[in-house]
This record gives sequence, C-alpha cells and structure tokens, in this order.
Amino acid sequence: MSGPRTLGSKIVANALAVVVLVVMLFPVYWMVATAFKPGRDVLTYTPKWFPTHPTLANFRDAMGRAYFWSDVKNSLIIVGVVVVLSLALAFLAALALAKFRFYGRKAFIVLIIGVQMVPLNALVIPLYILLSRVHQVDKLSGVIVMYLTFVLPFTVWTLRGFMLGVPRELEEAAMVDGTTRFGAFVRILLPLVAPGLVATSIFAFIQAWNEFLIAYVFLHEPSKQTLTVWLANFTTLRGTEWGPLMAGATLTALPVLFFFLLVQRRVAFGLTAGAVRG
Amino acid sequence: MRLRPGSEELAPVSARFPAATTATVAGTALHSRRRRRSWHRRALPVAAPYALLLPTAGVIAAVLGYPLYLLVKLSFQKYGLFELVRHKGHYIGTANYARILHDSQFWTVLGRTVLFTAVNVALTLVLGTAIALLLVRLGRFMRVVLTTGLVLVWATPVVVAVDLWRWMVDYEFGVANWTLTKLHFGNFLHHDWFANPWTGFGVITALIVWGAIPFVTITVYAGLSQVPQELIEAAQIDGATSLGVFREITLPLLKPIFVILASLSIIWDFQVFNQIWIMLDERPTSDYFLMSIYSFVESFRISEYGLGSAIAVVMVLFMLGITFVYVRQMVRIGEVQ
Amino acid sequence: MRLRILAAAIAAVALAVAASTAAGGTSARGSAAATKITVWLQNDAQTGWPEIVAAATKAFQAKHPGVDVDVQYQTWGTHLTKLDAALAGGDAPDVIEMGNTEMTKYMAAGAFRQLTRSNYPNAKTWLQGLADSCTFNGKTYGVPYYAGARAVIYRKDMYRKAGIKKTPTSLAQFNADGKKLIKRFGKDRNFSALYFPGKYWYASMSFVYDYGGRIAVLKGGKWQGALNSKASLAGLNALAATVKAQSRANKTGDEANPQQALVFAKGKVASFIGNGWEWPYALDPKVGNPALAPAVGAYPMPSHVKGRFMPSFLGGSDLAIPITSQQVALAADWIKAFTSTESERNLATQGKVIANTTTLAAINASNPQLAPFARAAKFSWFVPTTPNWANVENADVLQNMLVSIFTGRASVQKAANSASSQITRILNAGS
Repeated sequence: MSGPRTLGSKIVANALAVVVLVVMLFPVYWMVATAFKPGRDVLTYTPKWFPTHPTLANFRDAMGRAYFWSDVKNSLIIVGVVVVLSLALAFLAALALAKFRFYGRKAFIVLIIGVQMVPLNALVIPLYILLSRVHQVDKLSGVIVMYLTFVLPFTVWTLRGFMLGVPRELEEAAMVDGTTRFGAFVRILLPLVAPGLVATSIFAFIQAWNEFLIAYVFLHEPSKQTLTVWLANFTTLRGTEWGPLMAGATLTALPVLFFFLLVQRRVAFGLTAGAVRG
Repeated sequence: MRLRPGSEELAPVSARFPAATTATVAGTALHSRRRRRSWHRRALPVAAPYALLLPTAGVIAAVLGYPLYLLVKLSFQKYGLFELVRHKGHYIGTANYARILHDSQFWTVLGRTVLFTAVNVALTLVLGTAIALLLVRLGRFMRVVLTTGLVLVWATPVVVAVDLWRWMVDYEFGVANWTLTKLHFGNFLHHDWFANPWTGFGVITALIVWGAIPFVTITVYAGLSQVPQELIEAAQIDGATSLGVFREITLPLLKPIFVILASLSIIWDFQVFNQIWIMLDERPTSDYFLMSIYSFVESFRISEYGLGSAIAVVMVLFMLGITFVYVRQMVRIGEVQ
Repeated sequence: MRLRILAAAIAAVALAVAASTAAGGTSARGSAAATKITVWLQNDAQTGWPEIVAAATKAFQAKHPGVDVDVQYQTWGTHLTKLDAALAGGDAPDVIEMGNTEMTKYMAAGAFRQLTRSNYPNAKTWLQGLADSCTFNGKTYGVPYYAGARAVIYRKDMYRKAGIKKTPTSLAQFNADGKKLIKRFGKDRNFSALYFPGKYWYASMSFVYDYGGRIAVLKGGKWQGALNSKASLAGLNALAATVKAQSRANKTGDEANPQQALVFAKGKVASFIGNGWEWPYALDPKVGNPALAPAVGAYPMPSHVKGRFMPSFLGGSDLAIPITSQQVALAADWIKAFTSTESERNLATQGKVIANTTTLAAINASNPQLAPFARAAKFSWFVPTTPNWANVENADVLQNMLVSIFTGRASVQKAANSASSQITRILNAGS
C-alpha cells in the first residue's frame, strides 16, 4: 500500500480518520462527560453535550463507596498474576506447538480451539462444585486459576503464530555454535516474539479485567471482589445511578488505558508477524 | 529496500533483528572451542515438547477436566433445583436432547443466531479492514491518535458500553434519537428501537461491531505493514490500480490473518449474551433470543441444569461443525515447517 | 537485561500469589469454629438503610459476643445463580434475602430450613400477603422482611390546572380526568397523563384482579392459566384502553429503565403508579427535582367499582435460612434482631417501605407520604403460590403478553390465550 501521494488524498485520509474517531469515540466521550455531570443533568430531554456544571461529586461518590480501594487492589492482583502466568505458560506451550513435531499435536490444537466454544454459563455450576471441593471458593487464587484457563487457549495460539514467523536460520545459526536448543529459544526467540507477548498480554489484561460472572459467583467477601463486580452494585431495585456509575466506569477503564499506553509501541508490529509468514 | 513513510518497522532482516544477529556473531566467537563436545548436550530429549506443554495442559485439564465431564454427565440427567439441593441427579438418557431438538423454538433461535453471527462477522471484518487500510495512509501523528482512540473503545467494560448504547437510544432521553430528529432523518423522539426486532438487532449489531472493530483493525494493520513494499511497487510500475494491488497482492498475504480473525469472531459472536441481555433490561422477548440467551432462559434461570448442559453440548458441537474448515486451516498453518 | 525483567516478574507473581492465598486464608480458618455467620442481603439495603443493618448486627452481637456477622450484598440480576452454585457446592450463607415471588420454588425444593413461626417477632400480626409467601404445605420456611405496595403518585398542580378538583374514586373517573389532563397538557409530545411502560406487569395485573380475573387457578390439583377468562379479559381491555389514552411511555420498556420516578421529576408526567419510596426519590436533590415537593401527592388506584381501590401487588422480601447452614440458631437470632419491632419501625420511616407487621401500620398511616401506600396494601393480590411460578416470571410470559397488546401486535384475546396456555404448561411442568 503506498502512502499518500498528493495533498488531496492526504486531506481526505485525515478527514476520514477524524470522522471515524468521532463516531467510534462518541460513546466513550458520553461516558466521561456524564461522569462529570450532576445527577439532574444526566437524564434530559434535550441532550447536554457538554457538562455545563462540571462536578467531581460523582467521582467522590464512587470512590467513597464501600470496598472501592480493596476491589481495585484485588482486580490488579488477579489481572497482574493472570497476565504474567499466562504469558509464561503460553510461551512454553507455543514453543512446543511451533517448533516440535510430536504425537498428539493436532489433538491438542483441536482441544485448545474447542475449549473456547463452551459457554461459560454452562460451566458455572460444575466449576463451583469442583472448586468448592478443593476449598478454592472465595479465594483470589481460585479466580486466577479459572481466568488462566480461559485466557491460555488464545494466548497459545497467537504466540505460536509469532514463533512460526521467526526465521529458522537465526536459531540454527545459534545452535551450530554451541548454544543448546533451549538456550536458542530463550536468548533468541524470546526477544523476537516480545511484541507478540505484549499484544497477547493486552488481550489477557482486558479479558480478565472486565470479567463479571465468575468474579461475582466465586468471590463472596465484599473485600475480595473485583472492580467489575463493584460496578454492578450501582444498579439496585431502585434503578441505576448513572452519574456515579459512569464515574466508576471511567475509573475502571483507566488502568487498561495506562497499560496500553505503556506497551503501545510494540503492539502494531507484534500482533500477526508470525501469521503472515505462516 | 526503500522504507515506506511511517513504517520504520519494515527493514532488512539484519536491521530488524540486530540483537539476534549480534548474539549469533558473539556466540560464534565464544563457543567455537566447545563445538566438538557439545552435540549430545544440545539435542533436547524427545520428551521436550511434552514437558513444555505440561503446565498449560495441566492447568486446563485440572480446571476444566472434571467440570466438562460433569457437564456431559448432567446433560443426560434431570438436574433441577430439587436435585441440586440434594446433590443427586436423576438419569433420563437422551430426553434432554430430544426435548431440545424437538423444540421448534430451538431451531428458530439457531437459525437466527447463525444469521446474526454471519452479519456481525462480515461487518466487523469489512469495516475493521477498511479502517486498517485508512490507518496505513495516515501520517504518524494521526495514526497514533486513531489507534489510541480504538484502544479506548476496546478498554471500555462491555457492561458499561452496553449501558451507554442503551442510553443513547433511550426512548425518553436518547441522544441518538434527538440527533437524528434534529438532522431531519425523521421523527425519532419517543422512538422505541426495540419494538421492531429488525431495528433492535440493528442497534445491537452496531454495538457489537463497534466493540469488535479495534481488535480487528489493529491486527489487520499489523499484517498490512508486513506486506513487502517491492511487490507493491513492482505491480504499480506494471500499471495495477489500487484495487488491483489490494486484490492480487495484499489479500492473499493477509489470508492467514483473516482465517484467524474470522474463526475467532465466529466463536465470540455466536456466544453473544451481555449485549442483548442488558440492552433489553434483562428481559428480552423471544424475538431477541440468541443461543446463549435461549440457553440461559430455558435452563439456568429456571434452575434446570441438566437441560442447560445439553444445550451447551449441542452448541459446542454446532460451533465445531461451522468452524471445521477454519480449524483445519489453523492446524495446517505452520505444518510445513 | 531481559532476564532481570523476567526474574522480577516471577518474583512479583510469587508475591501476588502469596498475597492472594493469604487473603483467602481467614475464611478457611473461620469455618472451623462457630464464630461467624454470613448474611446475603440485596444491595437495596446497602444504599437505602445500611444503618439499620448495622444496628441489627449490634443488637445481635450484644447477645452473642464474639460472633462475627459478615453481611454480603448481592445484585438482583444474578443472585439466584450464585445461590444455586453455593447450594450445589454446599457453602450457602446462613441468612439470605429472597424476593417474595422467588420463595416458593426454593421452598418446594427443600432449600430452606423449616422455622417455628411463633419464635419470631410479631409473628401473629405478619402481613398476610408476606406470610403467605413464606409458607409451603402449611409449614413456615421464611420470615417477612418488608413489603411494598403501589399507589398513584401525582402532580397536584397539574390536576388543578386541568380542572380536576378531587382525586378520582373510580376507574371511569380516572379515565375522564386523564382526558382533561391530555387536553390541557397533551400538546407536548413528551407528556403523559399516566406514565405506564409496557412491561409494568405489577400494575397491569391489578386491572385483571380488579375485574375478578386471575393469572391462574387451581382446579382438581392442576393449575390452569386464567388470563383468557371473561373476567380477566375485561380487566385487560380496561387496561389497554386506559394506557392507550393516557400514556406516552415506552411500550416495550419497564418501570425501572429509565426509573419512572425520575421521568416524573422531569416535569412532563402528571401521574404514575409507583412504590412508596418512589415519591421521595423523585424529589431527591441529587437525581430528582426537589422543587416539586409541595406539588406531589398520592392516592390508591381506584377500582372500576366506585368507592373501592384496585388491589395492589404486594411486593417485598423475605429472609430464609438455607438448608446447608451450620449456624441455624445464630442465623435465627440475627433474623430476629433485624425484624424486631424497633428495626421494622426504622425500616418503615427511613427506608420508606411497608413494615412486615400490621401493628406498625399506624406509623405508615400517620405519615402522609406513606399513608396512601399503606392503604393500598390493605387490598392486595399475589402471584399463584406454586414452585413453578418463578419459571413463569423468568420466561417473561406476562411481559411478553403486555408488550404484544400495547404494541398492537396481537389482539387482547389472542395475547391472553397464548399467555394462558404458556402459564398452564409451565406451572404444571414436572408434575
């Protein structure tokens, strides 16, 4: 694809980009704008595009709610552990699938794909029965292990794609000179698929961060719950408190944004380097 | 190799992997003496791949092994609230399956879900790719801005995103209603988008495609930036149009990505639940039933876990059937190596 | 460099795992000694009357020093899934709040412990409607917590401006008044004389019961859907006529999305049928319009028979002790503390709900904001008391019927027929 050749096409491209940006971001803007509106201005017959009386009251309300900070802590712990562990485990598994031929390889691949198709609703009770037996109910570790299970299949897949994209010559060159094969993996392959690790870590982060059903069913103590469960409490029989909810939602989206900004330079390059080559 | 403006990622191998090349050179100097002794140490034991797979397979098996077995077992039992309290199901053979397959609503819902999935996946892929193509043409600054915007969309929790959309099309206070009316597209004040399932699903599809675009766009963009510049330039010198270039060169190279994206999108869109559930205030009418909603309403919400398990098994088998082609492709990718 | 990062990451993970398992450690220890009970209340209590919960716990702990009370708040949407999972896993809470229409199914499944009614405060004077929801096969499995009844909340100033001098005492009068309101204010497209969303089945069924109809009747041991009986049809037709003439609310929406009291607060609604707490909610300084305060009033919805009220749906919650509980005596004591006369009195005054006993009705009667609802509560209807009723609710049979009537997609007769046959099928399933 060639870059913009004329000023005209460049203007068109930029204009289109602005349109896309406005359309895509409007709901997000609405969320943030509402977070700053006083309750009365939230539901209006004529939309108030801009908060005319901006207030921090909703944020104060949200952050002052019971267990906000402990839920932040829990979410960060759970997601942090899930992301790191899933990357480590998936890296090893992807190695096996990409660089080795062995009996059972195809079966494992089908298993990984199939596992993603089982609806979560159907698994809740059986999972609960299992975790209850091993005393992992109402424990962060139980939730971490479950999230790992749901994140691993996709992560293994993507990393396998990356590994397939690394020129074999580099590994072989290293091996000829005396490095063990595993040494080649760690010293050569790992840095090269780092962008892929980053990309899958973002996906794992978002999946784990926003998950509700498992966190709600398996975590009982309010001090152990996650931010996503905490968000659900803004809705009672008496309806939803929109201002504080949007403030809470904005706060919830922030860590994901920070994480992305931290690693964004690698993302575009990383995601499918391997897939194209494969 | 000439670099495209804004694509400093694309460069010759040695420039792209400088660390690796340096390491290799360094390794050569350091280890040349040990060459003779090291062969038997270098080769990994046959068990190596199994050892590498073990942690992952172990976690998945440990967490899902028993529950999946239980799921299949329950699908052959009557396991309602009464049985659940006593921890004991009641074997009824294939009665659950028979009940599902003889329920005309099941087939209607299945058909509706297939149509819904097809439309959503197609729209997501087409629009996502279009925006990716746009990204390529942008200058660096706009590209970063647009990408960050897309990630912001991706980062919004699904439940909150649905609330926002629900609110934008709200009967009384909807921003979209007000705007459309002001732009003279008709009178949308007090318009109930969900009275008619077609417009209702239109809104839901817009919501889902909106949420799915960031992932597809960023992925396709990464693939696009990998397309070798020389091929494109050669074709352009030969007089190919933009569309021709896209069709003959870009598309074939992007095929593996599309396979992955399509199969993932199918799996995810087939199981859509939250968007419909929350949009319709947790009480969707039967016109809005998709497989996951039907499954929840017909079984889990009324505590019929045996029936629900049977529906889940049927869903998995069906999805495996649809994605069979893609699955085969994915297994084949990389097999030559 | 990368190895160092890797090592740091592994150390962090190890720390976090240790933290997470440590965080979970106390619960394992707790179950060994009888020092803790777990209570599941709905999050309405968390936002509406947390001090009353705290006071009950304090009173309980005065009697049982050293016993920990862990109150965990649930969300209405998914709390039954969580309960089912907990029952399956054997670790359900010691006390649980259930919606009164959710009780029967769980009682029939044997999920709750049988209780001795006379042990609980004000047992002899429990509100009949609530007491019925706690009883199955003559045995008691729950304790009434609070009730809610609905009445018409209206704008006195709008009525006056439209020339309505007295609140209506019959349905015919109500409709005539509605016409006057539409005549005076109807030019505004957003105006409703009576704001009535399509899925509002609690208020809709009142019309059916008012005309002598029923949702279902028990005949010879089997349930029969009765929405298509002559009496029920009369009620449904009256409902359709009233709503069509007076309401511009969303025909496929419900009363909570958007919250109808807040719509009322925006000033373009003359009246709506709401719970006691919806009146002060409309005036809430944060989300409502406090300026409306002097102009708002309430009266029970009039019947088609002059001088009577329409029966009001008696909503509410009960408290039960799951069968898996190991601390039954302690759980019972906590319930007694939470439903004591003192506690219920506070619930009525602060939470703006109806207390579970008729002896406190006087409090409601003397409070002009609660009196109309207390009066409406005296004449009430309740859903068929059968375990499968919850499944009818979950299948949205009533909502779907109402939506097809109001949107004109089906005639009243057809919609009622369809709903009745569904109800017959669901209520008799498994028997």
